[in-house]
Amino acid sequence: MKTLQEFRRYLLRNKLSLVGFLLVNFILLVAVFAPWIAPSPKEGRGVENIDHIGFGPGWHHWMGTDILGRDVLSRVIYGARPALLIAICVVLVAATVGTILGLIAGYMGGWIDEVIMRVCDLFLSFPPLLLALVAVSLLGPGLTHAALALVISWWPWYARLVRGEAQSLKSRAFVEVASAMGVSTFTIVRRHIFRNVTTPLIIQAAADLGTVILAAGSLAFIGLGAQPPQSDWGLMVADGRGLVFDQWWVATFPGLAIFITVLGFNLLGDGMRDFLDPRSQK
Amino acid sequence: MKHFFSRRASGTRGIAIGVGVLLIAASASATNGAAAANGILKVATSAAVTTWDPVQSFSTEAFYMTSLYEPLIWKNEVGAATDYSPALATTWSHSKDGLTWTFNLRSGATFHDGSVVNAAAVKASLDSAKKDGGASFIWDPVKSIEVVDADTVAFHLSYSAPLDLIVSSSYGAWIVNPKALDAVAKDAKYYESGIDAGSGPYTLTSYSPGTEVVMSAYPKYWGPKPAYSIVDALITSDGVTAQQMLTSGQVDFASNIPLTSMASLKSNHKYKVNAYGSPFNYVGYFNTLRAPLNNPVVRQALSMAIPYSDIVKVGGQGYATQARGPVPAGIFPYDSATPQYKKALATAKTMLAKAGVKNLKLKITYASENGAEARFAPLIKSAFESIGVSVDIQAMLFSQQWSLAKKDPANAQDLFIVYYWPTYSDAGSDNLYSLFHSSAKPFFNLSYWKNTQYDDLIDKAATLTGTDRAASAALYSQAMKILYDQAPGISFYDTKAVYVVPKAITGFTYNINYPFSLFFAKWSPTK
Amino acid sequence: MLKFVGKRLVSALFVLFGATIITFILSRVIPSDPALAFYGPKATLDQSARLRKEMGLDQSVVIQYFKYLKDMLTGNWGYSISTKQPVLHELMTKVPSTLEMIFVSIIFATLVGILLGIWAAKNAHKFVDGSVRVFSIAAVSLPTFWLGLLFQLFFVGRLHWFPATGEFDTELKFLNPIKHVTGFPIFDALITGNFHAVENGLWHMVLPALTLSLYSLGLISRMIRANLLEVLSQDYIRVARAYGIKERIVLFTLALRNALPPVTTVVGLSAAYLLTGTFFVEDVFNWPGIGKFATTALLNVDYPAIMGITLLGAMGYLTINLIVDIVQAKLDPRVRAE
Repeated sequence: MKTLQEFRRYLLRNKLSLVGFLLVNFILLVAVFAPWIAPSPKEGRGVENIDHIGFGPGWHHWMGTDILGRDVLSRVIYGARPALLIAICVVLVAATVGTILGLIAGYMGGWIDEVIMRVCDLFLSFPPLLLALVAVSLLGPGLTHAALALVISWWPWYARLVRGEAQSLKSRAFVEVASAMGVSTFTIVRRHIFRNVTTPLIIQAAADLGTVILAAGSLAFIGLGAQPPQSDWGLMVADGRGLVFDQWWVATFPGLAIFITVLGFNLLGDGMRDFLDPRSQK
Repeated sequence: MKHFFSRRASGTRGIAIGVGVLLIAASASATNGAAAANGILKVATSAAVTTWDPVQSFSTEAFYMTSLYEPLIWKNEVGAATDYSPALATTWSHSKDGLTWTFNLRSGATFHDGSVVNAAAVKASLDSAKKDGGASFIWDPVKSIEVVDADTVAFHLSYSAPLDLIVSSSYGAWIVNPKALDAVAKDAKYYESGIDAGSGPYTLTSYSPGTEVVMSAYPKYWGPKPAYSIVDALITSDGVTAQQMLTSGQVDFASNIPLTSMASLKSNHKYKVNAYGSPFNYVGYFNTLRAPLNNPVVRQALSMAIPYSDIVKVGGQGYATQARGPVPAGIFPYDSATPQYKKALATAKTMLAKAGVKNLKLKITYASENGAEARFAPLIKSAFESIGVSVDIQAMLFSQQWSLAKKDPANAQDLFIVYYWPTYSDAGSDNLYSLFHSSAKPFFNLSYWKNTQYDDLIDKAATLTGTDRAASAALYSQAMKILYDQAPGISFYDTKAVYVVPKAITGFTYNINYPFSLFFAKWSPTK
Repeated sequence: MLKFVGKRLVSALFVLFGATIITFILSRVIPSDPALAFYGPKATLDQSARLRKEMGLDQSVVIQYFKYLKDMLTGNWGYSISTKQPVLHELMTKVPSTLEMIFVSIIFATLVGILLGIWAAKNAHKFVDGSVRVFSIAAVSLPTFWLGLLFQLFFVGRLHWFPATGEFDTELKFLNPIKHVTGFPIFDALITGNFHAVENGLWHMVLPALTLSLYSLGLISRMIRANLLEVLSQDYIRVARAYGIKERIVLFTLALRNALPPVTTVVGLSAAYLLTGTFFVEDVFNWPGIGKFATTALLNVDYPAIMGITLLGAMGYLTINLIVDIVQAKLDPRVRAE
């Protein structure tokens, strides 16, 4: 593993990665400090303000107000919370499940490997996101269900990645030596194999964070994700959809927030890959 | 009452002036004129077709049925000179006891295959509607139908009922070609491809499921020839899309423009925004079986926490009035003297405290496909929370929240928000009975409320409706007073039916008794 | 080669068979009562019991699965709850419109992507290159549904350049009706010489296709740039340059020929992404295809329709993968040998 110092030096040399890094940290800060930053924390949490319906962007409401008179800026700020939460939860859970199954499959081999990988194939035989859409439709709309549905369609990618790495590491000399010395399977997998798959795992996870935010936003947009009065970006774009010609700000700013956040994660993810795995840098 | 709306059918739209919309509309005027000249009326509508069988029909296809079929008589809109207009029957009368009704049929009316509409056809149609109709229950009072002669039909009732209201119902009262009744008995899929068997001014010429319905004028129609020879209805579940189609000139008329768009369309010189009294209203049921909601005082307190005027403003976008009980304004037995709750947070809080309620947590459900409910439900949440009641609010498909409520009252929601309307224009035998009369198994009585005094009043009032309207109304008023006092539910608001009528079209009418339908045969291009 | 195709085809069929297991499991975990969904609120206990029997819900799961499999194979995909039409028929009438949009998008993304990639590689590590890189990352970070709205806001609301929604003008079917030949509307208009309809259809196509293609455009331009740079650093290119061969020929014939094959993978990947991308684009632009049908079905838990869409999606996805495999094998003999 490389040190933080090296990472800092890398960031300073690569402007785009630096932009991504700054954007991600900015969004994180916004999410954590939402109650202190938002002009109206109450409206950010979804409480209406009937007397302010339909205000355009101006001094008092920088991003205007929405159909219930809520300050769009406050809601965009609060919207960072579910967006980051779902991204982190989905990637964490999917990566954990995928890693465990991938390690088992890759190291054990044989019929266990065969079964796990065939199940993965089943899940991967659908176009991206389709299985998540179907699952959330059947589970019923909502943020938790959306997260669960995304985990269902995401874990096989990690399982496949980790299994491939584990399989190639298994036959490497240091693993074989440890095995011959009578080190327990669990220790070998933990110390020698897992540690060596962390780099590709981190690269994959960093790249996925943005994609998950995009996917969760898409679910919310068609009505299958977060539900009102929650302040969720995808849901807010859906709310503003009908107003797009009259009150353009209602849909525009939450969508912009999704774009900027995903862009930040993608720039950073790209940088992480180049940094951790310079071979991929073409 | 079924809800077949797309989620965004009543979506969202703004208040500011739509510069963009105005400009698109201006550039599209040329196409509008061309379409009218062809005699083609292009309409965007959310009305999907669940069945073309006029006997089974009990849903949104009513939009087309009023052009394809005719009943014996039409019920007129509020404020018309007479209560009814002749359709296939020209005159009618009833015996003094209200148990025998006689209708004399029009001569010269024919079904779309050219065969004559006679008494036998009327009997066959309505017998079939009573036997297997989607709305068969409306015929419960009818014991038998008698063919007196070719042009006369008599109804024998087992108890007095307002048969004039029943035969003019928008469901289950169409007169159908007997050949089709025979055909559908043999082949259940007879209507599936999209055919009609009516006598109305239009006949169905093509149907693409979920996409398009084309109707053309029936040349041998007994009445005046429609100005538009073809009505082309494009099924567009999304209201915002429908609005874009209207303002860009893709259609001449759109029936499902979101309420939130009205403000911007009002300022457009090409359209008029007309609001009419409608039979639709929003009602909430408390789960009266569960503590502390089994205590009327708690229910009264919660009723006082509701911000009615804000809900009217946000949910109805101003095209609404706070309800007086479950009967919508303009529908029998509406009574403008029925009391209504006013928002009084302080009183509500004290009442809850007095009733010993602490840490109350309520689960509220509303229909996810209903845009107005999605807008105003959060207001109820924040109102309840401001008096210390925590709320878990959930959007579900109507069918899901309904089965949740019916299945097991113990696990059902605490407050169930529903959009309701009477099957025909009698909210006494429908809204008051269906929503709050006790029933052995919950069907639409989803407060699970049982009040014998209320039940007696409703039962008695129903039998008087046909013969003594005033006496019946008085009993219903007493019953509504009980609903106010006991508060088994919340009456939110009565909505208006709001239509954007292009100035290029003359003859637009809305009839509260046929709330899902429009009468295209009466429309013509403005000269 | 034939053996290779055959082998891939057999394995694709196996995966498809597996996919039916997933759709079957999904169709049996539906929480709501099928009778209520089918007959509406007035469903009686009797109807409910009859329907359960008709659907075979009273039999063992294994028997149910084989019945389901038989139904799928014989084209009996059930009836949509909201439209009451056979699901397979509904899907088949909607597939052509969606495929036309995917086709236009992928052609656009590939051509423009290649040009952008070349442009960036030619100016490697200069401003142009950086801009293309930022563009390609931005393109894959854009929420499709939001981009569609922005396009409507700008190109329809402000500039009035394009129609807001739909596949054709409403008048078209009265003034210039398209004759049904293959079912693909624009293609049919083209082969029957109905150029007015072709023009109108393409006009409606611009915004949705552009919205849909941006993600692929980002992926493809990036891949081309990376591959070209790698090829350009190889010895034979240096030799060619040293011999004084024109830079244009070096770039467009020598380098590009070797940089293109890996791109088929990316084009395939993009096409797969577009399958679900159309859900959101068709929703925003009211396009009468599979995507619009799918979002409506998903929202209304119209599960026979959802199962049909899922299976069709799996078929489309596997077909794309199969084509990519075959094309790669054709371009690169090493793949075949594996």
